[in-house]
Amino acid sequence: MKKLNVLAAAGSAALMLAMGTPAIAYDGTQCRAPGDCWQAKPGFPEKIEGSKYDPKHSEVELNKQTQAMNAMEERNRKRAENFKKTGTWNY
Amino acid sequence: MRERNIGKLSKKGTAVLLGSVLGLVSSGAVLANNTLVELSKSESNWVMQGKNYSADHFSTQTQINKDNVKDLRAAWSFSTGVLSGHEGAPLVIGDMMYIHSPFPNITFAINLNDPGRIVWEHKPQQDPAARAVACCDVVNRGLAYWPGDDKLPAMIVKSQLDGHVVALNAETGAVHWKVETADISVGQTQTQAPFVIKDLVIQGSSGAELGVRGYLSAFDIHTGEMVWRWYATGPDDEIGLANDFNKHNPHYGQKGLGLSTWEGDAWKIGGGTNWGWYAYDPDLEMFYYGSGNPAPWNETMRPGDNKWTMTIWGRDADTGLAKFGYQKTPHDEWDYAGVNVMMLSEQKDKDGKMRRLLTHPDRNGIIYTLDRETGDLVSADKMDDTANWVKHVDMQTGLPVRDPEYSTRMGHRSRDICPSAMGFHNQGMDSYDPDRQLFFLGLNHLCMDWEPFMLPYRAGQFFVGANVWSYPGPKGDRQQGIGSGQIKAYNAITGEFAWEKMEKFSIWGGTMATAGGLVFYGTLDGFIKARDSDNGDLLWKFKLPSGAIGHPMTYTHKGTQYVAINYGVGGWPAVGLVFDLNDPSAGLGAVGAFSELARYTQMGGGLMVFSLDGRSPYNDLSLGEYEM
Repeated sequence: MKKLNVLAAAGSAALMLAMGTPAIAYDGTQCRAPGDCWQAKPGFPEKIEGSKYDPKHSEVELNKQTQAMNAMEERNRKRAENFKKTGTWNY
Repeated sequence: MRERNIGKLSKKGTAVLLGSVLGLVSSGAVLANNTLVELSKSESNWVMQGKNYSADHFSTQTQINKDNVKDLRAAWSFSTGVLSGHEGAPLVIGDMMYIHSPFPNITFAINLNDPGRIVWEHKPQQDPAARAVACCDVVNRGLAYWPGDDKLPAMIVKSQLDGHVVALNAETGAVHWKVETADISVGQTQTQAPFVIKDLVIQGSSGAELGVRGYLSAFDIHTGEMVWRWYATGPDDEIGLANDFNKHNPHYGQKGLGLSTWEGDAWKIGGGTNWGWYAYDPDLEMFYYGSGNPAPWNETMRPGDNKWTMTIWGRDADTGLAKFGYQKTPHDEWDYAGVNVMMLSEQKDKDGKMRRLLTHPDRNGIIYTLDRETGDLVSADKMDDTANWVKHVDMQTGLPVRDPEYSTRMGHRSRDICPSAMGFHNQGMDSYDPDRQLFFLGLNHLCMDWEPFMLPYRAGQFFVGANVWSYPGPKGDRQQGIGSGQIKAYNAITGEFAWEKMEKFSIWGGTMATAGGLVFYGTLDGFIKARDSDNGDLLWKFKLPSGAIGHPMTYTHKGTQYVAINYGVGGWPAVGLVFDLNDPSAGLGAVGAFSELARYTQMGGGLMVFSLDGRSPYNDLSLGEYEM
């Protein structure tokens, strides 16, 4: 009986891993590594890509902030450079 | 003085640039730092939002005290001419007071010898579209002051909602430089008060409700050059982690987590903006602040712990590199954006060991105290026993032990979660009385229902993904819609509350304490109040023209102690009033919680100044009069 229970537990664990849905509720204390303690909630996937919760973000949209930051940094750099050369802040 | 008055770099300034000031630890930078420290010690000044680098908001002045505060009267007032929420407080340096407004972010300089005359005004021209991008009214949390050196005059530094940071000549209001730090087309705004350390102007970011990836920038006051910029999420070399990051507490997590605790590229739109307050320890040369909520609010859309949102940061003042980071709410599910005030104190811990401490009342309902040199967790106490999302914080691991009953997830409306998204503590600048070893906390008492929904990310558009209904907590009156505020006196070593009082509405702006045994604060319904620091007894109050969401400040001018506070209801709690909203879930859940507010106050905007018996420069009736 004991052997069967172990097998059953192992099978259940394998099933859980395959499904990516732990049987216990998420309380934030079961860590994979220091600082990495998130678990999927029961009934929810480990990864949302390809699941019904996949927001399917546009790559173009995701990169717009980075592009905006780079553009601002370049404009600011030129302004400061000119300031150092001319003593006048042009905007 | 309008924006077109673009200043010129002085010959002295040019010499600086050609010389050594680009080295941040130049003697000039140290001099400026020391000057600001010394200025902050004088009770004639209020040189930064937190009063001093410890951000203790504590004044040693005793002219106004618990015995005579009943005689406090209005001395003079000033209208900014702007409605909407007036957060923050004015600065005072010598004879000058510097007042700010919400959008359009006007700055006024006033001479305290004759406050009825505006010395200069800076009114920037801004893209009005910035208003539509701001998440929670068009607030601004105030100005910063750089004291000048032998090469450059003193500067007032301001942020604008449209994303600019501007350095103004403190004497004339002329623009020294103006840089872009946010792009409203991708949802970025600026509401935070800049913070000055040495010759650096440090500026955070706003816009996590629009999916903005949080960042922190430093600019050289002399040249306007960006010195460093670090993010809250993403690769380590973009977050700015020192080689020995979290060496004292490796269990907090160390390297690689800014990517590995996110799925795919979600970190690029993952929030973690910081629009709150800073503190700085000049001995350790470290500064402290909190990064805010991950984006979107819908937790199902961002698997992982979402490092390093929701983090108390300790960073090197020169390089900005992080020495430690402690994430308070991993994988936030409730918008407990932890940008709240950081108050520094030196106290003996429970073992009698003197410690350099940092105390942070977080939006998640817990007040944390850390060793600010190592990041060690010293205490983590619930600010109110009604906080229910968390059972307790494990002091060994630093992890919150969640109660799954109050978790949030797709397809489920979670009910009676405490605190609400607005937190038990939000942007209020609170105070610490070192004589009493008490922190005075202006609190919200709010809970909520929460129901997430899916949405795609579109740059520059709201990216929240949750409907929220906030309402007063269990100790308030939910039928009447009041009882949503508290004020408490807290001892971080014992974990005990010396006293606590309920308020009709949230205390949004924070507290100011004095050695006169008083705690001052403003209320949303438009009062400024003074309580006895020892027992919380109400000793004085005055009805302001409009609700207060800024923090009180105090200064002595020509022998008279004054107390001042901004009035102007607005901000997140009053978005319903400001924008005439009625749906209880509108305003990110605030409208329902504060539906009664309009019965008590309406919009306004300005500053009220008080003194004993209303003493003021205008006791001299000839002051400011027309003379032939």
